[in-house]
Amino acid sequence: MNNNRALLVIFVLIIFFAALLIKLFDIQIRKHDDFDYYAKNQQIEKKVIRAERGFIYDRNGELLAYDRNDVSFFVDTRMAKDKDIDSLSSIFSRVFGNSKSYYRNKLKNPASKVVCLEKKAPAELAVKLKDVKINGLFSKEDPTRIYSYDNLASHVLGYVGNSYEGIDGVEKYYNKVLTGTDGNMIIERDVKGRMVTVSEDATVQPVPGENLVLTIDKSYQKILEEELRKGLEQFQSNAAIGIIMDPNTGEILALANMPDYNPNKYGASSDAIRRNRALTDTYEPGSTFKSITISTLFDKHLIKGNESVYAENGKFRYRNVNITDSHKLQWLTVREVIEQSSNIGMAKLIGKIDDDSFYKYLRNYGFGNYSFIDLPGESRGTLKKPGNFNELTQAFMSFGYEVSVTPIQIATAYAALVNGGTLYQPHLLKRVTSRDGSVKEEFTPKPLRNVIRKETSDRIKNLLVGVIENGTAKTAKLDRVTAGGKTGTSQQLINNKYSSSSYNSSFVGFFPADKPKVVCYILVNSPQVGRYGGLVAAPIFKNVAERLIAADINLISGTKLKDDEKTKFEKVITASEKVSQNRKYADVPQNSQARNYSVSRPSVLNKSFMPDLSSYNLRDAVAVLLELGIKYKIEGSGKVVSQSLPSGTRIRPGLFCQLKCVEKKLTGARIN
Amino acid sequence: MRPRSRIDYQLEDKFDVVLFLSVFLLTGIGLVAIYSATLNNPSASGNFGKQLFWVGVSTSIFFITYFASPRSFSLVSVPAYIVTVLLLVAVIFVGKKVYGQRCWIDIGFFNMQPSEFAKVGTVLFLSTFLSREKTNIESIWSIISGFAIGFIPVVLILMEPDMGTALVFISLTVVLVFWKGISLFGLFTMISPGLAVFSSMFGTVAFIICLVAIAAALFFFKKKLIISGAIFALNVSAGYLFNIAFKYLSPHQKQLIETFVDPNADPLGSGYNAIQAKVAIGSGGLLGKGYLMGNQTQLRFIPEQWTDFIFCVIGEEFGLIGSLIVVCLFFFLFFRLLKIAASAREKSEFNSLVTVGTLAILFTHFAINVGMTVGIMPIIGVPLPFLSYGGSSLMTNTFLVGIVANIYRNRKQYT
Repeated sequence: MNNNRALLVIFVLIIFFAALLIKLFDIQIRKHDDFDYYAKNQQIEKKVIRAERGFIYDRNGELLAYDRNDVSFFVDTRMAKDKDIDSLSSIFSRVFGNSKSYYRNKLKNPASKVVCLEKKAPAELAVKLKDVKINGLFSKEDPTRIYSYDNLASHVLGYVGNSYEGIDGVEKYYNKVLTGTDGNMIIERDVKGRMVTVSEDATVQPVPGENLVLTIDKSYQKILEEELRKGLEQFQSNAAIGIIMDPNTGEILALANMPDYNPNKYGASSDAIRRNRALTDTYEPGSTFKSITISTLFDKHLIKGNESVYAENGKFRYRNVNITDSHKLQWLTVREVIEQSSNIGMAKLIGKIDDDSFYKYLRNYGFGNYSFIDLPGESRGTLKKPGNFNELTQAFMSFGYEVSVTPIQIATAYAALVNGGTLYQPHLLKRVTSRDGSVKEEFTPKPLRNVIRKETSDRIKNLLVGVIENGTAKTAKLDRVTAGGKTGTSQQLINNKYSSSSYNSSFVGFFPADKPKVVCYILVNSPQVGRYGGLVAAPIFKNVAERLIAADINLISGTKLKDDEKTKFEKVITASEKVSQNRKYADVPQNSQARNYSVSRPSVLNKSFMPDLSSYNLRDAVAVLLELGIKYKIEGSGKVVSQSLPSGTRIRPGLFCQLKCVEKKLTGARIN
Repeated sequence: MRPRSRIDYQLEDKFDVVLFLSVFLLTGIGLVAIYSATLNNPSASGNFGKQLFWVGVSTSIFFITYFASPRSFSLVSVPAYIVTVLLLVAVIFVGKKVYGQRCWIDIGFFNMQPSEFAKVGTVLFLSTFLSREKTNIESIWSIISGFAIGFIPVVLILMEPDMGTALVFISLTVVLVFWKGISLFGLFTMISPGLAVFSSMFGTVAFIICLVAIAAALFFFKKKLIISGAIFALNVSAGYLFNIAFKYLSPHQKQLIETFVDPNADPLGSGYNAIQAKVAIGSGGLLGKGYLMGNQTQLRFIPEQWTDFIFCVIGEEFGLIGSLIVVCLFFFLFFRLLKIAASAREKSEFNSLVTVGTLAILFTHFAINVGMTVGIMPIIGVPLPFLSYGGSSLMTNTFLVGIVANIYRNRKQYT
């Protein structure tokens, strides 16, 4: 009996011992991984260290977009007691300047458990709250993308969304390049969530995104935008587009849509305004297309320069449709057809080329296909295939109907037209640099194909100079340098009918004529004042071009100048002997109406020596001093007659210069 | 004449090395674990030093007890029982309330836990009662008196309330009565209502299965129908009464029971400790994370780990190897106690009962404590003997082991 009881106790002990062994083996060996994962999961937090997004610069290193390290503050109201709410509202009120009740109301809102007390607070304010520890308060790095010049180049830059990914513009196209690789750190937290240790070994530092250096020139962009905005007002139009391109490389120097928007507050503008219509919207180009179609005839030796064609007095019945000109014209040479922009003349001449060759040329110019510019959302327009041509197609296409194009396609085609015949892929990215400034990738111009022969290109340039000198675009004549260009006025297709009141007025110009450095495209949509490209878009081109030259004298240096300009230009060159070729003098806002561009002001400036400011406009002189960082004092007004700091002095910080000015009478249109 | 040679005593003849060594090692491991558990916890930073002091005190108690006169224990049993029961009454009125329980009496330099000392009184007195010549364990009055001696402290402790310690006393009483030789039917009659209550916690299905088993057992005992019927009715009503009583339990106690039934039901609430304990032990793996390297412990995921959850420190930092060493040391101790109890029986029933009582107390603590940390028992707060931080518990347990050592020393004198 007794031994039985002892055995029973042994039995119970052994059963329990066995159960314990099985259980221990179960949780410590078999389920070890699960429990280990669970433990690490609650103890260790992998915290992402956000990589900074790359910056965006213009071609001269002007910062256009960057990251600001803002911080957002949140409060979990379930953890905050009344006392905490009181201290929170008074602290936030002290730091951010809003009233205490503003924060109190936010915190007392029963609908939300987590309240965002301050969104995207600047880092310099946020740092004041670094040591504040109140129940429920927590902060989060919440960087903000800042576009330094608000609306400037908005359609090129685009913007980023809430989760910091590019939504439009180069921000979207180069999102991968701009986005860095997030790092992370391993944080050990105790049961109350307090950070205990940070594992240094396991920390992966973030790799910031790479910077973009665009081909955009901020000062060009600014001029273009200002002139488009002015044009929009002057001609009472609802929209305008401008593109400035380097025809020898395909680099986009400026690209603007009006109205524009502020990418810092992109939500305030509609989708329609944010759309980059320079590449998303197609239209029938009208007469600007003539120089392209005529080039096909020259290139195939199908016409000669002295050939004549009868323009039927402005009205021509062609295969049961009427083709009209805006002026009654009679016999025209080929040159005059282009200069006077005769639709009838074009329609008659174009018959000399076969459909297939015609199509092939247009296709080679890039029509009906993407330009492959590095921006999102591009349209390719429509170019009919020869098989789909009807008997009127070729004639209508010759003066820019029955074909739809985007502004960027026209600008790109004109670049090929005037650069000797090579089509370049338009592009915006000049180089990619890393955060330390070293160049990661340099982009070289990308010639796609030769569209026309050099002789054809030269002939077309010559014709287009004639358009400005003698033809429909006299309003685009530049003061100091010869330019060429072509106007275009096309009726808009509204509800499948050509509107008699809505027009697209456009102009494509280039200068200097002998060796073009700039192609400038202007489109004004439905101007209410004026209609023709020659009256609307051409003057805008002129204003832009004049200001570009004033801002960047390099544009016309080394080219053939107009005779009366020659002497003055030489003066400029002498005035700025020590000029380094690459440093440009920053643009000073100019009144485009003023004809008296002060040639005496060197637009290129050597920043290491004091220039001779005598005979400068006071305003220009001050601008120069500001640029050089010299403090100044002014006596009198008008033109500078003497300066206290002699020219040639080496510039160093803290210099002071007194300027003496007198009023001088201007003689004639130009100052000496 | 050749001089008489001295009798050459072996150490083992007078001193049970296995018993002493297992207790000694367990206490040492306890100190190591308490140091780790309190290292990063500012609120418990002095606990290691205090425990070291209690280890010193307990060592003295062990040897004083070991060398004491063998008869002294039965002599002090009645006063010890009365004093400790009075202390249990006192704690209900003057006890310090911690986490809703009144378990401690503040006596200046330390907080005394009367329920620990009551174990000594109850073991000694119940053993004395059961080993009297007059006691006939087959008589209903003896059984009732025996249970009464054991259950007076149970009722008082439940009023603190301290369910874990009450369970220890129940287990102690049942084991002593069992060891004394109660008939299986008598034992069954006493225990089966407890089983019925326990099964009813798990819902109606479990309760019905239990009742079927009880009915089968009654059939096996082949007693008179009226007796069987009465016992069955007692079981049914115990289960029902528990369900009614359950409604009157404090929310804290209700939750203890509910958590046992499904610890994952409320992982952030009462199931928290059950899960965190398992996570600590489970994440230790085979070899453990290394001393002072257990994240669960050092990051304080388990509250007051130096007391009831000390086994987690070992499981996490020393792995399966560490926990097996502790479990094995306990089983060496238990088998040793059982052996001493069995061999003492012939000579002194009192000694045998005291030894088995000690075994019952230590084993119940061990089973509940380790059982709850590995998830085969509900989360009921009892300390792990020799390892958990706490002076009262350590002194009581070493005193009980000291008595057994004394019994071993004098085992030959009762012939």
